[in-house]
Amino acid sequence: MSKKTYAIAIRDVIAQEMRRDENVFIMGEDIEILGGIFGCTRDLYKEFGTERVRNTPISEAGFIGAGLGAACAGMRPIVELMYMDFTLVAMDQIINQVAKTRYIFGGRAKIPLVIRGQQGIGRGNAATHSQSMETIFMHFPGLKVACPSTPQDAAGLLRTAIRDDNPVMFFEHKALYADKGEVNDDPEFMLPFGKADIKREGTDVTIVANLLYVKRALEAAKELESIGISAEVIDPMTLVPFDKETVVNSVKKTGRLVVVHEAHRNAGWGAEVAAMVTEEAFRYLDAPPLRLGALACPLPFALNLENAATPQVADIVQAARQVCYR
Amino acid sequence: MISKERASRIYLTMHRIRGFEEQVVSLFESNKLRGSVHLCIGQEAIAATVCSNLTEKDYITSTHRGHGHCIAKGARLDYAMAELMGKATGYCKGRGGSMHIADFETGNLGANAIVGGGIPIAVGAALASKMQKRKEVAVSFFGDGASNEGIFHEALNLASLWKVPVIFVCENNGYGISVPAWQSTSVEDISVRAVSYNMPGVTVDGNDVEAIDEAFRAALERARAGEGPTLIECKTYRWLGHWTGDPQPYRTREEIESWKEKCPIKRYGEKLLEQGFTAEELEQLSQQAKKEVEEAVDFALNSPLPDEGKILEDVFYEEA
Amino acid sequence: MAHKIIMPKQGLQMTEGYIAQWLKAEGDMVKLGEPLFEIETDKLTITIDSTAEGKLLKIVRPEGDTVPITEVIAYIGEEGEVIEDIQAPSLPADVSVKEVESPKESRRLSEPIPVLAQAGVKYATPRAKMRAQERGFPIESVDATGPDGLIIERDVLAYKPVAASPLARKLAGLGGISLDGVEGSGARGKVMAPDVRQALAAPSADDTSDCLETVIPMDGMRRGIASTMSGSLSATAQANHSMLVDMSECVRLRERMKKAEIKISFNDIIILCAARALKEHPQVNAVRQEDSIVQKHYVNVGMAVATPRGLLVPVIMDTDKKSLREIAGITAALAERTKKGTITPDELTQGTFTVTNLGMLGVDKFVAILNPPESGILAVGAIKKQPVVLEDDSIAVRPMMWITLTYDHCVIDGAPAASFLGRIKELLEDPILLL
Repeated sequence: MSKKTYAIAIRDVIAQEMRRDENVFIMGEDIEILGGIFGCTRDLYKEFGTERVRNTPISEAGFIGAGLGAACAGMRPIVELMYMDFTLVAMDQIINQVAKTRYIFGGRAKIPLVIRGQQGIGRGNAATHSQSMETIFMHFPGLKVACPSTPQDAAGLLRTAIRDDNPVMFFEHKALYADKGEVNDDPEFMLPFGKADIKREGTDVTIVANLLYVKRALEAAKELESIGISAEVIDPMTLVPFDKETVVNSVKKTGRLVVVHEAHRNAGWGAEVAAMVTEEAFRYLDAPPLRLGALACPLPFALNLENAATPQVADIVQAARQVCYR
Repeated sequence: MISKERASRIYLTMHRIRGFEEQVVSLFESNKLRGSVHLCIGQEAIAATVCSNLTEKDYITSTHRGHGHCIAKGARLDYAMAELMGKATGYCKGRGGSMHIADFETGNLGANAIVGGGIPIAVGAALASKMQKRKEVAVSFFGDGASNEGIFHEALNLASLWKVPVIFVCENNGYGISVPAWQSTSVEDISVRAVSYNMPGVTVDGNDVEAIDEAFRAALERARAGEGPTLIECKTYRWLGHWTGDPQPYRTREEIESWKEKCPIKRYGEKLLEQGFTAEELEQLSQQAKKEVEEAVDFALNSPLPDEGKILEDVFYEEA
Repeated sequence: MAHKIIMPKQGLQMTEGYIAQWLKAEGDMVKLGEPLFEIETDKLTITIDSTAEGKLLKIVRPEGDTVPITEVIAYIGEEGEVIEDIQAPSLPADVSVKEVESPKESRRLSEPIPVLAQAGVKYATPRAKMRAQERGFPIESVDATGPDGLIIERDVLAYKPVAASPLARKLAGLGGISLDGVEGSGARGKVMAPDVRQALAAPSADDTSDCLETVIPMDGMRRGIASTMSGSLSATAQANHSMLVDMSECVRLRERMKKAEIKISFNDIIILCAARALKEHPQVNAVRQEDSIVQKHYVNVGMAVATPRGLLVPVIMDTDKKSLREIAGITAALAERTKKGTITPDELTQGTFTVTNLGMLGVDKFVAILNPPESGILAVGAIKKQPVVLEDDSIAVRPMMWITLTYDHCVIDGAPAASFLGRIKELLEDPILLL
């Protein structure tokens, strides 16, 4: 174990995996000498060279397609996107090609491809560079979707992603990169996909959150404790596959559900979780499941507006109180 | 110079493709085959010639008009026909159909129903070959329409930058569905676009086996030598509509007939006779192809439908 | 133009409503859907939400007015808006809405369920229902603290059913007091009848011992009962028959069921016997409509329930087709909801016959007044042990009960009425015939 930041935890796993398997390589924008704008590939080129730590032109569709081709032909590419918002210029390659190749070709291909990068609020990047993209990729079958909220989770999930023979969309959060935490340095340390992590146990309300909002949900849980509400905070870790069992069992216990994410509330993944819980645990519900998410406007630039557009700790507290009728 | 063995292989392949496509038309018209079916009758020389230079380990990516590429790369006609009929025995277990047919065993990384979709995938396969220090090349087939997609330009730029062993083969048949090239493409010869990406670009007669072969072998040599990609434009013509049932108001019967005069199979047959093949030898190859196609149709017609219980299989790879 | 607020029709049978209270004053701003006024129909108190948004410009009909349905009672509009053509209150005679009961239509029960959230219909969360079920008591008995009267898990967990004897419950209900505050003198604190009588006799804080009398204005419900009862006597020719019933077999049946942990009351058995007898005597299962007698092809027996505010008769639909166990479940829930005021207007109409039972209050035998438009009502007295001369001239002690039928002689003659009553007696004395 060692204490390191979320960004360094990611870098270290990439390095360990590149050492372990020479078919693993990474490509993306500004990842070589600059080390990625958030430092997730800092100095890797020194050890692995510029062939395996490969700068790309600003051609997201092109190099994601190349990642798919390389994966089909025996490599295990990691494609870094500077902002996950840029998946939007490569949507055909991701949704029509990457996600479907194995299935439509009759299961004859393995696609060991990781598409990773950061997203979200926190740096005043405004509408086209602050979005939360994970919901879209949860909708189309064929992609796994991982969302780590701590340095340890980032390390464990990323190693699982790199070793997975399926395409994985790996969402990091820019506001988490500087967070420090204890990380297991074992080069075989992996966290399984499809296994949610109960970040805090509680009995009165289940709060499901991902990425930055796990932190905020934990803060809210602390406040709720002071007024006598015991909140259970669950991080699904991966949205595909989704650990329905853990969430449903938690709601069966607490009877109340709040889902909070930074992705837009309308048709966000929280809606899927709310529906899932309603279908699976209707009898156990003491209140309608509530969803918190960004408002239905493009994310604005001004800090006060950005805050107003996204759920705050106080909103989570209020939602939890509402479902607890307190 | 094309060896006798390869020449007869190209001739046989062209007949296989032609026979396959003709059977597809007939099956479609008798309602035994459904979906979007795009036929390459008239364009057989390109796939047959290019692939005669490749091994099973080399990669290709193909297009919505991809039956010819698939067959030329070595796919079995029976499995291919079964896939077109949506049968369990098809290459993709009936999940892909005509527009999504692939055979990873013979290096075919798939037809691609999105125009230009396969081009970067070929670049990636070539990148893998280069990084793994293998001698395999990748060939990306695409049409003239795809050269107007952004992804074409991204992919050519990447390939040239990284000097990966990929050959871009543009089958310019003059139309994007109904829109003629002069209405859609700013250059007369698509090969000039290679200049932007610092690679050689050549235009050849796509109905002339020897012309295609000469250009392709030069590109292949360059790729294998680590000198990077080449863009080859093959001018050709599809005899049939864009799809089965296309009324084709955008072109004249005279235009179609004039291209039938330039039939690549007939032309290459005449060449081979000049080069010492006997008429019997050629007839034998054509009969062989005919027989294979008939057997493939029988196989496909008699194959079972895919199991609905397995519909959710293969979305993800799962270790046993 | 200002928006008209009308007296809304609530439920199938309502023709007019008594404005019990305005919840907003003239000049107040009112939101769409905000509670605006309360009405009392002859059966229930209902809060009515505003159908418009704006300023309450004018209240046309004040509290205490009885207004035919659809008549304008107030105007809501924008500030300063002039109200044109304020409708003059129409006379009751103008009520043009006439409910002509058509058996076929009411049978279909396809009337849209009235939106009665405001009438205090209780809703519970799925979890609250699950918890109540686990604990074995009806969710309706739980007081709600959730939003809009929603019963939530917490309410169920906090609910402690008070142990009380049936008579104590009845007395408390009639006296309008809650059992919660009554100290029980029975085993393990069980509340008994004397406890309730004592609690009722205790002087209340606002006792006005100085006054010689108290004037209680008749509310909508009291007035409704008054007009129904006096109307009943003036519109029909009420006659009576009585019979004494040997309840030995019923007592046995009830004890056997009790052993099988099935809770049924004598009244449940009587209701079922009456329903079966009605099916066999269609002339009793009928109403008079001007110059016709309309025989119903369905049997809906109503049961008289005393509530603190007056008598109500909730109805058991298709009574003859139900099993005894089903009837027991329905009567318990109906009685509970009737007492709590959560019954809906449509559950109080569409009866074809009524059973009223004062046995628990010690009445031996009584005559009931018909519940219009029904043509029959059965008054049931207490079950008491009496010496009885048997067939073989020996004397035995048997639990005996008086039943008295009131019927409308305009519709039914004496002989068929006697046959009907006799059949009820026969069924009660040999309830195995119910099978």
